[in-house]
Amino acid sequence: MTDAFTTWLLLAGPLWAVFGLWALPRFAGSRKVKDETGLARLQVAGVVGGFALGPVGLGIFYLQPRWITRASLTVGLLLAVFISSQVLVRIEDPNLPSALWLILAGPLWSVIAAYFIPRRYREAEADDQNALTAAALGGFAIGPLIFGLLWQHTPKISRDWIIVLGSLGAWQIYTLFALHNADNLCVAAPYHITYLAQQTANGVVIGCIYSLMAVGLTLIYSVQGIVSFAHGQLYMVGGYFSFYFLLHGSNLLSELTGTEISINPLWGIPVAGIIVFLMGALFERAFLKPMHEGLIERVSEYAILITFGFGFVIEYTTLAIAGPFPQRTDRFIEIRRFTFPRTQITDQFTFGPINIIGDRAFAMVIGILLIFALLYFLQRSWTGRALRATSQDRQAAAVTGINPTNMNTLSFGLGSMLAAMSGAALIPIFAWVPWVGAEMVGRSYVIVVLGGLGSVPGALVGGIIVGIVEALGAGCHPDPSRGAAYKEAFALVIFALVLLLKPTGLFGREQT
Amino acid sequence: MKHSKALFVSIALVALLALAPMGLVSADGHCEFDDYTIKLGGLAPMSAPGAVAGGVAMDWAFKQAAADINADCGVQIDGVNYMLEVITGDSEGSPERGQAVAERLILEDEVDGMVGVYHSAVGLATMGIMEENGIPTIFSEPWNDNVSANGIREFDGAPPRFDDGIDHIFRISPASSMVGSVVTDWLIALGVEDVVLIVENTDYGQPAAADEQARLEAAGVAVSQIDVELGTEDFVPILSRIQASAEPPDAIRIVVTGETSFNLTQQMAELGIAPTPDTICVTNQIAFQHVQYWATVPDGNYCAFNRVGIIPSLFNDTAIELNAAYEMEFGDIVPSFGMASYDAVFMMVDAMERAGSYSDAAAIVEAIEASDILLSQGRYYFTYGAHNESMPADDSMPDFMWHQWPDPIVTVMQYFEQGQSSLDAAVVYPEVYQTHGTAYVVPGTSP
Repeated sequence: MTDAFTTWLLLAGPLWAVFGLWALPRFAGSRKVKDETGLARLQVAGVVGGFALGPVGLGIFYLQPRWITRASLTVGLLLAVFISSQVLVRIEDPNLPSALWLILAGPLWSVIAAYFIPRRYREAEADDQNALTAAALGGFAIGPLIFGLLWQHTPKISRDWIIVLGSLGAWQIYTLFALHNADNLCVAAPYHITYLAQQTANGVVIGCIYSLMAVGLTLIYSVQGIVSFAHGQLYMVGGYFSFYFLLHGSNLLSELTGTEISINPLWGIPVAGIIVFLMGALFERAFLKPMHEGLIERVSEYAILITFGFGFVIEYTTLAIAGPFPQRTDRFIEIRRFTFPRTQITDQFTFGPINIIGDRAFAMVIGILLIFALLYFLQRSWTGRALRATSQDRQAAAVTGINPTNMNTLSFGLGSMLAAMSGAALIPIFAWVPWVGAEMVGRSYVIVVLGGLGSVPGALVGGIIVGIVEALGAGCHPDPSRGAAYKEAFALVIFALVLLLKPTGLFGREQT
Repeated sequence: MKHSKALFVSIALVALLALAPMGLVSADGHCEFDDYTIKLGGLAPMSAPGAVAGGVAMDWAFKQAAADINADCGVQIDGVNYMLEVITGDSEGSPERGQAVAERLILEDEVDGMVGVYHSAVGLATMGIMEENGIPTIFSEPWNDNVSANGIREFDGAPPRFDDGIDHIFRISPASSMVGSVVTDWLIALGVEDVVLIVENTDYGQPAAADEQARLEAAGVAVSQIDVELGTEDFVPILSRIQASAEPPDAIRIVVTGETSFNLTQQMAELGIAPTPDTICVTNQIAFQHVQYWATVPDGNYCAFNRVGIIPSLFNDTAIELNAAYEMEFGDIVPSFGMASYDAVFMMVDAMERAGSYSDAAAIVEAIEASDILLSQGRYYFTYGAHNESMPADDSMPDFMWHQWPDPIVTVMQYFEQGQSSLDAAVVYPEVYQTHGTAYVVPGTSP
């Protein structure tokens, strides 16, 4: 055990956090409000102050209880993270803190807390909505201390609790990772911040693009209650419609004008969207409407099979028409940053140390704009509200004069359109083949469940989370040779964890 | 009477003239075909997740070969002409699917021989089925060394896997080691000191990369490897990792096939990682398909790639005709696996004709071993087999040379102009095939 570690354990750290958890509410409580919220805040202050600065921190909060604010606790938490990380990285043997962490916190305490604390909330007839999540994250991050915070007074658990405990747990993982992989690009100073920022930016950019496709899927689910297994193929065919529109449109214009004209791929996006909207709407009318009219006996199986079949037909028809050879359209935008000789060709936006490929940035902006346009449509227009109303209660919606049948058609058409526009936005970026949708659609299912089935903002957030997790996972994996191969697995781990802790997904609502 | 005679002669002449073209048709189709149609099974990936573009090219080559053979009176055995049919089975690039399709072709379609196979995993998985059923087989594309090496091991080893003691598997594509050695020799000759291998996680990618890594490290080159899954579209996170390294690598070698390699190469170029004056880009052989390559890798100028098969300047008449037909169909240059698949059908037919049987597997295998035939990729023959078992037991002759065509041409080519045809790209290695007098065209320059 090193001197730094011993000193830290004596002057601050987990022992003082335990003491603070017990002492601060007891001694400062009489001088501070005694309601439930105040008590919980004192407990948090005891843990944070003790962990960060030991007796000094506790003394400050004891003498000046009015300084116990959200801001001071955040600062204290950051200070605790900083000091302890500085101490831990100086430890020569990384196994020691890992072993301590596994004993004092980590997955074992996470499971224990997740088992007992929600029961305690139910017994106390307290609001247990976030109890499971907070207990699991708390056990993981601060071990048995979470019982001290939550057991006796069962305080109302806000989203702040989850964010703080989750961040603390993530920081611990990062610190332990750093201890065991000191040379990893994600932890090795001085460039790790830049590198992490670059990888996070990569993740955000691709995540927004993922989201656009997932939004269509979630829209269909929210209104119709079915998962479209043709979504990947609609995404793919959207790219092809854009490609052929641009190809033939450019040729036609060139012939008419006598000069070489190349239509910007941006124009392919609405064209693909409109065509595929009509395809989706027609398919819905022909094959899904009977299902909603009660003409189909086994609705769930029918929905799976019919959408799967639709996707199959689209894929193989496209293969027959377009062939198996990869295609790609021109760029959205030509950005030439000459930094010869280090880089000969770069088509990138540069924000300080972060580089983003121009077309990806453009596609990301398109994705965000389309998602916000959809949100605006759903929130502000009568038709959008009708769609939302149908998704919440079809019968009640029908009573108010909304035609659920039309809403079904509209939702499937819109969902298909969004998939196609997503494809049209990505064909300038990826090599396009008739089976290109397979990988993307698998990820879309993860995103919509992660974000909460039926939630548009959930799909956006879920997409970004998946993008970031994949980028950081591939970029930080200790074994560089395996990072890229496990990319999708990282997102699936997060997906599984979120579903364990919050089965409705991040923004999902309980089924009624 | 005279009039009627003249009329008769005239009618006869007109009839003769009218029938003459029919006679010509008959002459062209002079062959009287037997009722029996000889069937060959062609395994190719016709749907995802296999390399469909490769499968389509192979399927086309099978059909083209069958059409050319049938136009020339089919398979001629002991004075009898047999129509030839190649039935393509879709392996989907999956070993399990490949096995199922191989069994169907053998047991239901009752094929007399097998050709094709693109993915090594399918080749390795289906070999046993062909052996068990005694089906002469000529693989035209799988590269894994063991595809041919297993023959000598099983044939010589005890106990033998095959009841009849015959190894029915032949290969006319190169083994991975044959390809890898050319690329690594080139990189070593250029004096690179560190190489990043980006490798697909398949039965082709991993052994090929292991072989290249061993060769490079033996020459003192530092090698780091990054594995990727086929079908991945976004490589930016992993490429950012390369970008963040203190010094750019001297070379990045892509051991990834299909459109996945196109995405990877393009993203690498977009990020300015390679090709650059500091870093050599060595991409997959499919870059030879220049129409596809430039359509999907517009920034890929100055990338080098390994070319398997005869170089365009050495195309013989068969290759020129085949390439013209392929270009007419697909608008691109014929790939090596298309040429090899075409040749495999001809080799099988040639062997059947020499064996005097379409069903005597032992005789056909013996005839394939004795092959000496000039086709689109050159002169085919097999050095080692039952006809010549004297393979050196030491390391001087690797096991994969068993039932392996020893002369596939492997070169390194490099584009040096945006949108350039692969027919005009520079052959940079081996020196004997160099077309532009240089072993490497530095980005930003012309040879």
